[in-house]
Amino acid sequence: MRRYWKFLIPAFVILGILVVLLVNLSSNLVYFHTPTELNTEVTPSTERLRLGGQVVAGSVEEDRESLILTVTDGRESLLVQHDGVVPQLFAEGQGVIVEGVWDGTTFHSDTMLIRHDEQYRTEDNVIYDSDEHQLEES
Amino acid sequence: MIATIGLLSILLAVAASGVLTVRAWAESRVPEPRASAIRLPVAMLLLGSLVAFAALELGILTDDFTLEYVADNSSTTTPLIFKLAGAWAALEGSIVLWGAVLALLVYFVARSVTDGDRLGLTALSVTGAVSLFWFGLMATVANPFEVCTELAGRSCVDSSWLPFVSAVAPADGVGANPLLQNHILMAVHPPMLYVGYVGFTAPFAFAIAAMIRGEQGSVWLERTRRWSVIAWAFLGFGILLGAWWSYEVLGWGGYWAWDPVENAALLPWLAATAFIHSAVVQRRRGMLQAWNLILIIATFSLTILGTFLTRSGTIISVHSFTQSGVGPVLLGFLMVVVIGSLLLFAWRSHLVSSAPRLDSVASREGIFLINNLILTVFALAVLLGTLYPIVLEAMGRARVSVGTPYYNRVTIPIAFVLLLAMGIGAVTPYRYARRDVVWPRIAAPLAVGLVAGALTVLLGVSSVPVVIIVVLGTFVIATVFKELLRQSAKLDGGRVGAAGRVLRRDPGYWGGQIAHVGVALLAVGIAASSGLAVRDQVRIPAGGSATVDDYCISYESPTSRVEPNRTVTGAVLTLRAADCSSELATMEPVFNRYTRPPAVATPAVRTGITEDVFVALATVPGEDVVLDVMIFPLMWVLWAGGLIAVGGGMWGAYARKRTRERVTADV
Repeated sequence: MRRYWKFLIPAFVILGILVVLLVNLSSNLVYFHTPTELNTEVTPSTERLRLGGQVVAGSVEEDRESLILTVTDGRESLLVQHDGVVPQLFAEGQGVIVEGVWDGTTFHSDTMLIRHDEQYRTEDNVIYDSDEHQLEES
Repeated sequence: MIATIGLLSILLAVAASGVLTVRAWAESRVPEPRASAIRLPVAMLLLGSLVAFAALELGILTDDFTLEYVADNSSTTTPLIFKLAGAWAALEGSIVLWGAVLALLVYFVARSVTDGDRLGLTALSVTGAVSLFWFGLMATVANPFEVCTELAGRSCVDSSWLPFVSAVAPADGVGANPLLQNHILMAVHPPMLYVGYVGFTAPFAFAIAAMIRGEQGSVWLERTRRWSVIAWAFLGFGILLGAWWSYEVLGWGGYWAWDPVENAALLPWLAATAFIHSAVVQRRRGMLQAWNLILIIATFSLTILGTFLTRSGTIISVHSFTQSGVGPVLLGFLMVVVIGSLLLFAWRSHLVSSAPRLDSVASREGIFLINNLILTVFALAVLLGTLYPIVLEAMGRARVSVGTPYYNRVTIPIAFVLLLAMGIGAVTPYRYARRDVVWPRIAAPLAVGLVAGALTVLLGVSSVPVVIIVVLGTFVIATVFKELLRQSAKLDGGRVGAAGRVLRRDPGYWGGQIAHVGVALLAVGIAASSGLAVRDQVRIPAGGSATVDDYCISYESPTSRVEPNRTVTGAVLTLRAADCSSELATMEPVFNRYTRPPAVATPAVRTGITEDVFVALATVPGEDVVLDVMIFPLMWVLWAGGLIAVGGGMWGAYARKRTRERVTADV
């Protein structure tokens, strides 16, 4: 019997740790969507989401403490109201990811990330591919 | 010409690696193995790798833009220092540097091999196989000597692997990566990481060799102890430099974001930290032999995983990973290493491992076990958080990111337990620790820790985790100093001289203790700077000022200047105390624009004894300026702690040269 316990106890400990980690992980996942997905598939809720796309040129305006902008993936676009720190590299035409809540008409964000990578990008900035993950936190 | 020399030297290194693998293997099996048998392939490997590296540097220095790599990573106006560093600034070049470091490692391992040394020869054969992979990668999908055959404007759109074609060159290259040009540390950071990554090849090769040969005992550990510690120290230094660079240069207002790229370097470091500790248990008590094999396999595999994650483009997008060709190859190599090592382990580990029983959990080795369990859980948690989004996306499910709270929730309790174990473990005897032996050694340090915690509360800190970290961190440091005093009190001579002799007497132990002091400081720095930070964004008109926390910031004027390789736009600010009277410093956060995008923003940081004032531009300065202002308490403690930890590792690795005999400190 002792031999069994020698393996069972560590197995239970490891299992327990894994469960704790996975529960913690699942409660801290933030799902990423494109404007098209938000407009067509995602039901508005209070869940925190990430929205990625390109800032539409000429769409950016400041309204008191907020920044109003439109983000597009080339097909659909979405109005974003951003309250929070604006990263230094923020610009029209830039690829951004905002994090916040989608209410069905406006995306209310408090965190903005600017795409930052170490690979070279051509000057004729290719249309923003919303798959980008590696970001500069702001 | 350069392309031809470069490619030929890579091919030479490929051939030498192959020959080394076979020759060393064969020699380890003959009746009287001779070390001289592998001299030639090792020399050729070293020659090939160094010439390849030199050729790449030469190509960059002579502005040979027929080489696609040079055209993509340098230009005629790039400053010399960044040209030199450009040789490892992008994927192909970084693998050339990697290869050169690896060849040097093989050379040093080969030097330690003597006649009749079957274990060493088998290990050399393993390093030969690892070299074969890296140089094979260089010779195929990541050839840095591809020549450009077709131009479209400034950039090369088609290139040839064979160097004998008629090459075309753009008028000028696109220049070095702006992030590299923005700070020289970005040039130092990768070589440090590579020495760390590559260094683990030595203990890994000896572990595999020990399993293949079924050699019991700790010979493989003893012989690679120094490699493990040096690799650990360099990897830690590389991570520290990366964090410092992220903080001082990148300017998003932090030093660690649990970004996959950062995690990729942290993972092998965590596994290596566990390995270094459990290796001590095996060398001293003969336990944990199988576990040590698992840990070094894990460490080596995680270095490959880290390279795969950062170099294949997988974290930028799962779908871009097949574009470069390097990704699938690295993934394949990772699979071979993991599956091959584990199969070998399953098949042979019973030959090398024996398991003396743990006498009591209340002992030095018991606490080492707790340390290992915690570090493994930590690594597992980081691995899970890093890979989960990638696997989910690769399966075509949702795209997700793992929020920082996930990591914080794991890290904070782990830090508590680790610090506690660090303080108690260092003064706990092996085998069995009686309470009346351990308690007197930790009572006073614990009191010091509690006093420090009370002072922190009196200073107005209300964050519970921060206070706990201060208590435990001070406890660890006090334990180390008390032990140093206790041991040096037994020696004659002045206090300082006696302490110095104690440190030299057992550098392995004391190197570890120095590293513990560093890690304790690091923990305090991290807790203070992340738990007590103040962040604000202010808009200031020219000539006006704004108050943030205890400071008054005035915007004097915008500034702009042209440097040879960049245009600098910034704001001149004056930092004053809260009443806007006494001047503390002049600060100038800027944007730097290089010949190629993106522009890089550089914050201005004023480091003080109690806190850093960090100011970064949020807009281009003009009539007014928007600033991100952040106050980070005790940042210097964080950097100092990191450096001390690295220094402790170096002390443990090098100082042993002075004294071979082991004077025990575990009374």
